[in-house]
Amino acid sequence: MPGDGTKALAKGSCAPGPVPEGLIRIYSMRFCPYSHRTRLVLRAKGIRHEIININLKNKPEWFFSKHPFGQIPVLETSQCQLIYESVIACEYLDDAYPGRKLYPCDPYERARQKMLLELFCKVPQLTKECLVALRCRRECADLKIALRQEFCNLEKILDYENTTFFGGDCISMIDYLLWPWFERLDVYGIADCVSHTPGLRLWIAAMKQDATVRALLTDKCVFQGYLSLYFRNSPSAFDYGLC
Amino acid sequence: MSGLSARSLAKGSAPPGPVPEGLIRVYSMRFCPFAKRTLLVLKAKGIRHEVININLKNKPEWFFKKNPSGVVPVLENSKGQLICESAITCEYLDEAYPGKKLLPEDPYEKACQKMVFELFSKVPSLVTSFIRRQNKEDCADLKEDLQKEFSKLEEVLTNKKTTFFGGNSLSMIDYLIWPWLERLEVLELNECVDHAPKLKLWMAAMRKDPAVSALLIDVKAHKGFIDLYLQNSPEACDYGL
Repeated sequence: MPGDGTKALAKGSCAPGPVPEGLIRIYSMRFCPYSHRTRLVLRAKGIRHEIININLKNKPEWFFSKHPFGQIPVLETSQCQLIYESVIACEYLDDAYPGRKLYPCDPYERARQKMLLELFCKVPQLTKECLVALRCRRECADLKIALRQEFCNLEKILDYENTTFFGGDCISMIDYLLWPWFERLDVYGIADCVSHTPGLRLWIAAMKQDATVRALLTDKCVFQGYLSLYFRNSPSAFDYGLC
Repeated sequence: MSGLSARSLAKGSAPPGPVPEGLIRVYSMRFCPFAKRTLLVLKAKGIRHEVININLKNKPEWFFKKNPSGVVPVLENSKGQLICESAITCEYLDEAYPGKKLLPEDPYEKACQKMVFELFSKVPSLVTSFIRRQNKEDCADLKEDLQKEFSKLEEVLTNKKTTFFGGNSLSMIDYLIWPWLERLEVLELNECVDHAPKLKLWMAAMRKDPAVSALLIDVKAHKGFIDLYLQNSPEACDYGL
């Protein structure tokens, strides 16, 4: 993946220079689901960009001038404008760049996608807690039940709307905003949480056919290698799989 | 606007009919800060609307069909489309209706408003915690937390060097934040902005805005509501009517 394959910058690294005209920069981390959202939008819209990966366990001092708490993703424009929070970054890209609009034009349809995002909001925390519990060899039956319930709510939407994707018959912003967590279900060890939601499984299959999703799909072995190192607190976790 | 000061509908009430063409309806509650956001935008944009107040301590069964979580605000249009979540309703109104745009056209300026909104995001739950805290003497921690959050907002105004959070004119972000700053007086939390002079100036400027001043809640009525609300009284939502 061009651009994705750069080593994560850590404490002591030099601050990168200004963003060249005609490009937008994303501060990211190869395995972060929030950054993944923004990378999907960059790709889907064909936006020329450069990626700087950040070592999240050993953040460069200069990165705190990009984000007050050193979080990713952050977008930086050639005019030194900084945009963060993954959802805000994704909307910014859709507004600022021409070509295919990922959010619908109709105000009600736009509102519907934002309401769907609210419906999804407990999933990131729950999947993370399941991952941590499993990695620490702790019980997580209750967490999985809670996650299943959240998936049921999403299933109801797909049932009711009777469309392939959450925004209709074509893939759109809401699908890209949700996708990163579903891509991780398998490698997190919780793929069985969609066993009772056939609509969601069909959606996952349809998403995997999308060119943008496929282009950014992370190899399962690489992801597992990263997770093993991450949970052993290895500082080289973030670069796992890079030559 | 019709319904703003109407008695709330409770359990056993008949569901309202469809929304007439040319109007939009907001399900609201006179003292709810979240619903206040939507009312401010409706007022500021001059959108013809009707208000149906909901008794949040004794909700009508039909209201859960409008919003499964049973909270206000909810917008309903004449096509029967329902929009929930206060920030989403505000953005919807700005996009769907003509006239003065409250959100900036420029994508970066719009993103900035949303980033400020995120900065503000801990305030509502802190204020709710304060209201619910039985022993008001023992609230030093909450007051300190609120002060910290207000400091962040002060920093934004300091960096921007403008009166309002979006520039020199009032815009969406100001309306989204206002309802909680309005409540500081009735909650006797004005001290939490003592160290934030620009925020205090902002509050004074907000009170001069026509939409804000038209929708200001009387402090006595607000206090009466809070007392009854904490006692879980079904009369709370209609206090003062």
